[in-house]
Amino acid sequence: MDNLIGQGRAAIGMIVDPDSFKEGVVGDLNITDPEFGPGAVIGTAMLKGETCTVIANDAMTVNPKFPVVYAGIIGMEEGYKMALAVYNSIKADKDRPLGKKRPILLIVDTPGNGPGKQEEIFGMNKATGAYQLALAEARKEGHPIVAMVVGRAISGAFLCHGLQADHILSLSAEFSTQIHVMPITSISRITKLDIEWLQELAKSNPVFAAGPNFFFKLGGVEEIIDSIEAMRDRIVAHVAQVRVLKLAGKNDELGPWGRGTLGVERGGRKTRAKVIEVMNEEFAAVADRYLK
Amino acid sequence: MAKQLRELNFEFKAETPKDFPAGFLHYGVVGSGDMEVIIEKKAMSGAVKFKVVTPVTGFDEVWRRVLERFVNETGISNASLEINDCNATPVVVSLRLRQALAEIG
Amino acid sequence: MSNKWDTLQSQSFLECNARQRAVGLVDAGTFTEFIGPKDRMSSPHLPLMGEAIEFDDGIVTGVGLIGKRPVFVASQEGRFIGGAVGEVHGAKLVNIVRIARESYDKMLAANPKLPEGKRPAVVISFDTGGVRLHEANAGLLAHAELMDQFQDCKGKVPVISVIGSRVGCFGGMGFVAAATDVIIMSPLGRLGLTGPEVIEQEMGKDEFDASDRGMVYRTTGGKHKYIMGDCNVLVADSIEAFRKALGEVLAKPYADLAAMRRIGSLEKVQYQLKLVDLCVKIAPKDSKDVWKYAGNKNPDALVDMPLDLFLKTAERLKIA
Repeated sequence: MDNLIGQGRAAIGMIVDPDSFKEGVVGDLNITDPEFGPGAVIGTAMLKGETCTVIANDAMTVNPKFPVVYAGIIGMEEGYKMALAVYNSIKADKDRPLGKKRPILLIVDTPGNGPGKQEEIFGMNKATGAYQLALAEARKEGHPIVAMVVGRAISGAFLCHGLQADHILSLSAEFSTQIHVMPITSISRITKLDIEWLQELAKSNPVFAAGPNFFFKLGGVEEIIDSIEAMRDRIVAHVAQVRVLKLAGKNDELGPWGRGTLGVERGGRKTRAKVIEVMNEEFAAVADRYLK
Repeated sequence: MAKQLRELNFEFKAETPKDFPAGFLHYGVVGSGDMEVIIEKKAMSGAVKFKVVTPVTGFDEVWRRVLERFVNETGISNASLEINDCNATPVVVSLRLRQALAEIG
Repeated sequence: MSNKWDTLQSQSFLECNARQRAVGLVDAGTFTEFIGPKDRMSSPHLPLMGEAIEFDDGIVTGVGLIGKRPVFVASQEGRFIGGAVGEVHGAKLVNIVRIARESYDKMLAANPKLPEGKRPAVVISFDTGGVRLHEANAGLLAHAELMDQFQDCKGKVPVISVIGSRVGCFGGMGFVAAATDVIIMSPLGRLGLTGPEVIEQEMGKDEFDASDRGMVYRTTGGKHKYIMGDCNVLVADSIEAFRKALGEVLAKPYADLAAMRRIGSLEKVQYQLKLVDLCVKIAPKDSKDVWKYAGNKNPDALVDMPLDLFLKTAERLKIA
């Protein structure tokens, strides 16, 4: 297999323990309707003998109720279905100690959120927001969340399904993985700048360019993995690393804030840190006047 | 083609100088066809210096004339002006600079 | 237009720039700006692409007071590259929320009985289409950081959205706003995820005709969001009206504000799923189909109805 684009379901089988995936079931949740948010695959599996929640995209199906949902797009039903899987993971492990919360594995291959009129009338923004808040809550409750980009991780859909993880891993660009807001061809068209020149600029500044390597340099991806076979072991290793940091109370080294620090270390996103530093100083100088 | 923001620098002295009466002033929004300016008091032996950051090429002489006239007409002196421009016309530039000064009053 | 508080109050919120909104939304003379124009922290990336820069990178951040409450404010400038979020812009927005929550933690550690009326709050005045293309990756990452910060605020610091500016609140910022506790809009405010032009481009004119301004407002505008429950408070288009609504909201107990959220818990998600079922049932071609379902017998009359009458007349969507 050259790549895993559109193969979210197959990717689950390559990562979790053989034949352990139970689709639709997470704690008390048991979804049996095959037409409920079919673009999102949720369920429970074993990962090296440990119970874990799996959330993936299914690009090979369409949502019969929402025609804009196909090819791995996350629609309203999909977003809420994914959120249900997360909240039920939290609920199921409510009484378990910090080091024993089940990992949540996000297998990412999605090109976007549902772009339709009905979606806007009822509020697609709430569905994608709901899933992100659920993931952030699970992360802070102690669940290790690892995202594995196996195909497309595009813009708002990557924010929805991926960027709230503790750690993000991506198959390398040889597997046609795509991480971007917009391809460089579109950026060229809109900014009226030559593609060749933009590609040259991207070498020294990863802030706009498309691809996992640029996200790595910005700290937006923790690790790039160069073989499909290695995914399983690397995910298991990252779950363990994340757990150690959570047990040590180092939540600021994980998730979106941790990736901000990583962006400085890797040299791709330095200005952010400067802004934060100066703002903190300016606030400290007047804090007494406001906090009484 | 590489496209870069350009920086233009000018210095003028008003015929009848009046000191800039405030320490620091910011005015304007960098909307399309608009600009913002920071004016700061600075001991410059009566001179005024400008730094203009703009995406526009080929209008350096127009900038010179507009800014020089502003200095002579208002008598502003001992000040440093920094302008961020986004394709503002000379009329808009003159208007915004005068509005900025009016903020002090 | 002047930035003086008294003059600002009667001004159209839609016409005000980001700094005027920030100054005018809190009590007179209380706003202190952080990373203002003086710091000249403009984008380091835009000059490389020949794009104009702004000293504040299109966002005003600072702190003011509403009564005795420290209110941390972020106010976006839609006129500067559509209020889009780049690295500096994003970092300012994220960190003002973080400072509010850190302040809460410090204050409550020092005095666990601190009255709610003295605890920090966050107000965000949105005027944005989301990620800034020229520094898209950094903008994207900032969105994720915001959602993370909001989750940290949960149970502690109320986060209020105010939406009534020209660009509205779209793209990733559409779900950022949805994730706040309370949303205050004017009928001119617009909120959504995918803007009408993008829907038309991707799905065709039959799905959405972006040149149909009436349709655009009915789909994403303040009145529609109010009927749907996605906007909690609908106010007139003035700084004063927004400020008063903000004051009334922040006078409520935190628990009441948390109850006004649309998402953020299993129960809220279960409720939203009922709305999704309703969407399938009605299959609306126009927001008016939903207004009718909500009990508005003459939805056409609501479109141009003056705000006072609209607030008395409009039935809001409720499902069991």
